[in-house]
Amino acid sequence: MAKLLKKEMKLAASPLSYIFIVFGLMAFLPGYPILISSFFVCLGLFQSFQCVREANDITYTALLPVAKRDIVKSKYMFCTVIELFYFILTSVPVLVRMTVLSDVSVYRKNALMNANLVYLGFVLLILGFFNLIFVGGFFKTAYKFAKPFVAFIIVAFLAVGIGETLFHIPAFSALNSFGFTHFGLQLGVFITGVSLFALLTAISLHQAINNFEQIDL
Amino acid sequence: MALCSIRNLSKSYASFSLSDVSFELNAGQITGFIGRNGAGKTTTIKSILGLVHPDCGEICYFDLPFSKYEREIKQRIGFSTGTVNYYPKRRIKNIAAVTKTFYKNRDESAYREYLEIFSLDENKMPCELSEGMKVKFNLLLALSHRAEILILDEPTSGLDPFSRDELLELFIELKNRGASVLFSTHITSDIEKCADNIMYIKKGKVAADCSKEEFVKSFCMDGETLEESILRMERNDKIWQNY
Repeated sequence: MAKLLKKEMKLAASPLSYIFIVFGLMAFLPGYPILISSFFVCLGLFQSFQCVREANDITYTALLPVAKRDIVKSKYMFCTVIELFYFILTSVPVLVRMTVLSDVSVYRKNALMNANLVYLGFVLLILGFFNLIFVGGFFKTAYKFAKPFVAFIIVAFLAVGIGETLFHIPAFSALNSFGFTHFGLQLGVFITGVSLFALLTAISLHQAINNFEQIDL
Repeated sequence: MALCSIRNLSKSYASFSLSDVSFELNAGQITGFIGRNGAGKTTTIKSILGLVHPDCGEICYFDLPFSKYEREIKQRIGFSTGTVNYYPKRRIKNIAAVTKTFYKNRDESAYREYLEIFSLDENKMPCELSEGMKVKFNLLLALSHRAEILILDEPTSGLDPFSRDELLELFIELKNRGASVLFSTHITSDIEKCADNIMYIKKGKVAADCSKEEFVKSFCMDGETLEESILRMERNDKIWQNY
């Protein structure tokens, strides 16, 4: 699997998949819907899938001494590695904003979503949706990616919309806490995000392997 | 022992069916796989490589079922198609460097040897190559791990007469080293020059699978070339149905 991952990174991947990881730092921006950064990293991964199709990567890989299911696993591994790096990077501004910058007025006056553990939970949920809807959708045919990506865009922007509006409802205002206020709630949403990411990715991988096994290349 | 044994391979599409294809590939033998466009050559080749799911049939290499030993079998076979263009914007040396990591029998000297034989510049990208050079590049990838069976889908398509001749000479050399070569083509002169066996497919069915001599004896009329006899057979279903 390590060889396949290396192949993904050296041959199949678009440079944009790596460059767009930097969007994780958007969580430093005040007055910006920071959840959009998770969409950008998915857009970078989408570019790699375009390259995969243009370069006949699936057929090339299928002819290597690997099993068909390994091809699917390697694509998911590549996506989760990029998502992990993005997640680590976007966690840096979150931690900084939760600690040393928690009282800075520009962030306190921010009308949009705050960078806290709830934000990270939502980020993981959106990444999970990408794996489920886009990557899983791609492996239904191994060449059609427009429809699954449009479906992902709709769901991702709904998730961003919910994340950005939910805390304006008084009952949910604690979701936009600063620093470590309402830490239990923040942690709960974060753990839910981690669980949903793992669950959605696992379901998607299982389904994608089954679908891809049936495809004639 | 047959290096590759295919039994009763069938695959149905809406407008085309591959029916009951059976054949064997033996060591030190070149099999020319001939048939007109759409006869089922590529479907057969893709099926025996696991790229297409046959509806039924047995595929065994080295006495091992392909379905169970896919990884092990692929280590020992090489495949090339003349038409597919992998990673058009990556340098040949980078593609080859990644490819070699997957093969236990990767032979750097063979890679260098074929690079020179094919006059390929490894600093070029596939998009910079002519169609003929792309065929050679695909062959280079297939030949660099000393495969025991080479399965080549129209390897001579797009090659100039000199390169085609060189390639056919190479097949003979590989055969002499004990490898088995299966190559599809619709150029009968390629088969005349180097094939030991001829497998002729028509409308998804193997119409003939025998030695070249037997094929000529059974199907070629006096003074008729292989091409003329195949053309005649294509036009007349009854000839091969009685075979």
